[in-house]
Amino acid sequence: MADEVVRLDKVRRDYLVGEQITTALDGVDLVIERGEFVAIVGPSGSGKSTMMNLIGCLDRPSKGSVYIAGGSTNELSDNELTSLRSKSIGFVFQQFQLLPNSTAIENVMAPLLYQGLSTREAKRSAAKMLTQLGLGDRMTFDRNRLSGGQQQRVAIARALVTNPDIVLADEPTGALDSKTGAAVIQLLKDLHREGRTIVLITHDLEIAASAPRRVFLRDGQIERDEKGSR
Amino acid sequence: MRLIGTAVLALNRIWATKVRSLLTMLGVVIGVAAIVALTSIVDGASQGINKSLATLGTNQLNITALAADSLTEQDAEELAALDNVSVMFVQAQNQGTIATSDNRVNARLVGVSSQYFEAVKPELALGSYLSSSSFATTAKDVVFGADAANDLGITKELLGKTVKLNGQDFRLVGVLDDQAGFGTSGRVYVHIDAARKLFSQYPYVSSIVIQAATPEQVDTLQLQADLLLRERYGLGEQTTARYTITNQASLIAAVGSITATLGLLLTGIAAISLLVGGIGIMNIMLVSVRERTREIGVRRAIGAKQSNILTQFLIEAIVLSLAGGIVGLILGQIAAFFLAIIGDWVFSIRLDTIGLALGFSLLVGVVFGVWPARQAAKLEPIDALRFE
Ligand SMILES: Nc1ncnc2c1ncn2[C@@H]1O[C@H](COP(=O)(O)OP(=O)(O)OP(=O)(O)O)[C@@H](O)[C@H]1O
Ligand SMILES: [Mg+2]
Repeated sequence: MADEVVRLDKVRRDYLVGEQITTALDGVDLVIERGEFVAIVGPSGSGKSTMMNLIGCLDRPSKGSVYIAGGSTNELSDNELTSLRSKSIGFVFQQFQLLPNSTAIENVMAPLLYQGLSTREAKRSAAKMLTQLGLGDRMTFDRNRLSGGQQQRVAIARALVTNPDIVLADEPTGALDSKTGAAVIQLLKDLHREGRTIVLITHDLEIAASAPRRVFLRDGQIERDEKGSR
Repeated sequence: MRLIGTAVLALNRIWATKVRSLLTMLGVVIGVAAIVALTSIVDGASQGINKSLATLGTNQLNITALAADSLTEQDAEELAALDNVSVMFVQAQNQGTIATSDNRVNARLVGVSSQYFEAVKPELALGSYLSSSSFATTAKDVVFGADAANDLGITKELLGKTVKLNGQDFRLVGVLDDQAGFGTSGRVYVHIDAARKLFSQYPYVSSIVIQAATPEQVDTLQLQADLLLRERYGLGEQTTARYTITNQASLIAAVGSITATLGLLLTGIAAISLLVGGIGIMNIMLVSVRERTREIGVRRAIGAKQSNILTQFLIEAIVLSLAGGIVGLILGQIAAFFLAIIGDWVFSIRLDTIGLALGFSLLVGVVFGVWPARQAAKLEPIDALRFE
């Protein structure tokens, strides 16, 4: 049996806004195995980001269970969830979300420092990662001096530097022009080829098509789960 | 994250928002500077008062007449005969005029008996005391108090020259340096016999000072002196209308408690300004938490624990407050230095003041930093990331 990295078991997520309950995810079952490249596709409001937050242990389900690398997350404390996130998950956001007043290398060092590494060790790994992603000459630039594509590559370096089980990318090309966006998708594909597990969230069918597996969401439910290239 | 790393983050942020950080510190700077300066004022003032009280001798009793004819030289003689009295002198005083060839002012003419200068030992600016020999022979010498000398424009050249007291010729033999003194200025001192020629009060005196051989005997002596005078004038237990007896030691204690109260009051005022400073820090920290909500969300997503966030914001508040405290301490000491020059007291840097200033600013940082830092730490990661 293959190695399960993520398992969602009848996951439901309700948001309460005032008196109104919105069900963002409604009984979702999903298994992602190590080394997969999965695109989560769906229209706006279909629950994609909600799903990513649950997989990424940033949020807890209202019902059902989330398993990461075989372990249930239901009973974990905030601190334990944070540790799990730190060890197993790498996030790439639509708006890059680089830290303010920090250079590229400081951004990439941050997850390692939160893991308790020394500055020296963190710096070494971060520099290596940035160099791998072609940013060796941009390490001391802060976000104001980096292009969108460069910022997103720094963000990807930051997501990868801890060697996580899964990389979660929520609309990583949403704030980029199509050419730069394509380069970022290519980078994710390369990472997949190196054996990384990638979850890519997008509402763009064309981008989704480049993933070997596509999960279609609609109104908080999985509509279709396709494998194989089309 | 290691503490040092968190501290670096906090310092980076303070540096990145320099102007705002400086303005935020200002409240604490002012509060601490006020505490330091006020402490040194109270300190210096009580130093000065105590010094001038101490020059009068802690084992002295001052018996002051409440009316012009309350006490006589005979009383003084009898008091001097009491056990344990080592020194006795009397003063008779009256308003009068003092004049040089080209100036003339009012002053208090004080007649003192020969033991006065030995007992009090006031500091001299020029010349000498009324010497014992001159007491014995020529009774027409005068020593000026500093204020009287100033009023009349006395210079070194006038030493040994003639000045006029109530129109009579006296020889100026000395000027006292009693500026910081306590009620000794605006006065000129002559021998008591000479004073009788200036204003006829005989046999009445305005005050009698007796000195006990040791400080321990002062209290007993005070009771004995009181008893003696009551008997002489046939006064009952309750009536004290003729004179008051003051004890230097109790005066020093009274001054001490006044300055302590004063110190407390001023410290209270300074503490309020520190409180305001602390609220300023809290306010800015709350704003900062709001502004950086997304950053907090990102940090949580990439592995920051609640405690990491808490520490980062707390350190920021503490550094702001402590830096304010250090700047305030320096400014306060500079102010204290100049105040000491103006007030003519000894400037000293006290370790307890430094400890107090730094301790208080640390406390302010912690107390007013904890709440914003907790707000930051308790943010839910997804809410923080969605925050616009
Ligand atoms: N924190 C929240 N509070 C209340 N409602 C929420 C919250 N987050 C999401 N929702 C609601 O849940 C539903 C799913 O939202 P979600 O953000 O997962 O959609 P999405 O598929 O990511 O959409 P998009 O493509 O626009 O990003 C929406 O109806 C949304 O309004
Ligand atoms: Mg979304």
